[in-house]
Amino acid sequence: MSDHNIHIDRLSKVFRRDDKETVAIRDFTLDIKQGELVSIVGPSGCGKTTILRLIAGLEQATSGEVRIGDKVCSGPGPDRGMVFQDFALFPWRNVRKNVEFGMEVSGLPKEERAARAKKYIEIVGLEKFAESRIYELSGGMKQRVGIARALVTNPDVILMDEPFGALDAQTRNIMQAGLIRILDKTDQTIVFVTHSVDEAIFISDRIVILSKRPAVIKEIVEIPWPRPRDRSDPEFTALRKRILKELESENVMD
Amino acid sequence: MEEGILSRANARLDAWGAMMPYDKDNRYHRWVRTLAITVASLIIFLLVWWNLALLVGSAAIPLPMQVWDAMIDLFTYGDPVSGMSMWANISISLQRFVAGFLLAMAVAIPMGLLMGYSKTLNEFMTPTLEILRPIAPIAWAPVLLFATGYTWGPVLVVFIGIFFPLLSNTVFGVNKIDRSLVDAARTLGASNLQIFYKVMFPCALPYIMNGVRIGSGIGWMCIVASELYASYGGGIGFFVGIQASIGYWPNVFVGIAIIAVLGILTTGLFDYIHKVITRRMGME
Repeated sequence: MSDHNIHIDRLSKVFRRDDKETVAIRDFTLDIKQGELVSIVGPSGCGKTTILRLIAGLEQATSGEVRIGDKVCSGPGPDRGMVFQDFALFPWRNVRKNVEFGMEVSGLPKEERAARAKKYIEIVGLEKFAESRIYELSGGMKQRVGIARALVTNPDVILMDEPFGALDAQTRNIMQAGLIRILDKTDQTIVFVTHSVDEAIFISDRIVILSKRPAVIKEIVEIPWPRPRDRSDPEFTALRKRILKELESENVMD
Repeated sequence: MEEGILSRANARLDAWGAMMPYDKDNRYHRWVRTLAITVASLIIFLLVWWNLALLVGSAAIPLPMQVWDAMIDLFTYGDPVSGMSMWANISISLQRFVAGFLLAMAVAIPMGLLMGYSKTLNEFMTPTLEILRPIAPIAWAPVLLFATGYTWGPVLVVFIGIFFPLLSNTVFGVNKIDRSLVDAARTLGASNLQIFYKVMFPCALPYIMNGVRIGSGIGWMCIVASELYASYGGGIGFFVGIQASIGYWPNVFVGIAIIAVLGILTTGLFDYIHKVITRRMGME
């Protein structure tokens, strides 16, 4: 069996403009096992999204590299799927056609596309809306399309950039529970950026806590409890308190 | 004082309105209301025209009835000067319009997509385009008619008229593309070419259609003006030109009316296409 673990090796990103240099990320190193869900939390503007975009290949790293197994990733590719905060669905395509996009550009035959799309639309529970247009869907349903679209090409990792950030609190909770159910069915590796500590504890195997800019890893918290988890559990709330405190100390202006 | 007159007039209108029960939630009522207002508008227009014609008393402004009679004659017997039927004149103008239009689409849309795609190309093209843009298309008519002849001259004037609004709307459309849609396509493994025609083109299409819509109105002005300037072998502008030169004023007005109707029809058609595409693209 081939190695599908993700190796992020000393990733750095420096933005240069005229003579000014801004170090956004410094030596970000992380190994992610297949099937693991790793969350990244950190103070606002610390570069969480930049890390995700570097892994996705949407931005060029200044130094360092991302490998899947032994394969070095350069540029975006279907081996790393992405789910966007603003959904980024194609509004002129219906749900099924959105889910089929990745298979369409890779040239999969039509019947296979349809069959796979159907399967993943069912996994996210949208089978009644397969032929609906995007503007007919609610926010939560839109993001389920986004997740199905990323899952369907069977990538080595799915990068989720605050996927539930645009949703209301109630829908968020439903979506988190839904994501956990999907994980049970697919053994999908996920890197999940969020600003919600509660969300991170609820879904993750590990939480990476970043410092403020330039972002370096402050701590990695393992969460051993089985899912689904109970938010009102004293251990849960204690952990949430501790991580929030750690983030708050980062948010202090100096 | 004036307010007194206005409020009394308003009260009178309200009193008339009360005599005709009108339910704005009833589709039939709304339709009848629109029809009544349209007919009233046209009747007033004809009355104003009639009175102006009598007031000015010039042969160049005929009465509505004279124009009507001239129209019946022209469509029955054709143009007595050139011997051409009105349908032939209309079809010649339409052909020039369509040719100029297709040419403008074939050049402006790919060029606009590329200019939206490549910043360098945009910067390179902009100085030249900004020099050419403010020139009234019809100013090119003498040059183009002399240089390319009577067949291509009017077509190229239409081309210039449509080219600029279509180009700038296409560039605008590409610039309005949601970056995250392009990012999404890239993470799904789309090549640059696939991004171009599967993401950027559909995104820009409603804006392109808006350019087509605006261009079609300008295109009609261009075709008639260039035919009027100098042409050969027919066309509505050409017809108006000859009739005026020999003083057949009712015929001139028939030509003007045909231009108006064709303009309304093309604008209506493109408005409709624009609406359908905007809805198809989920951008209502």
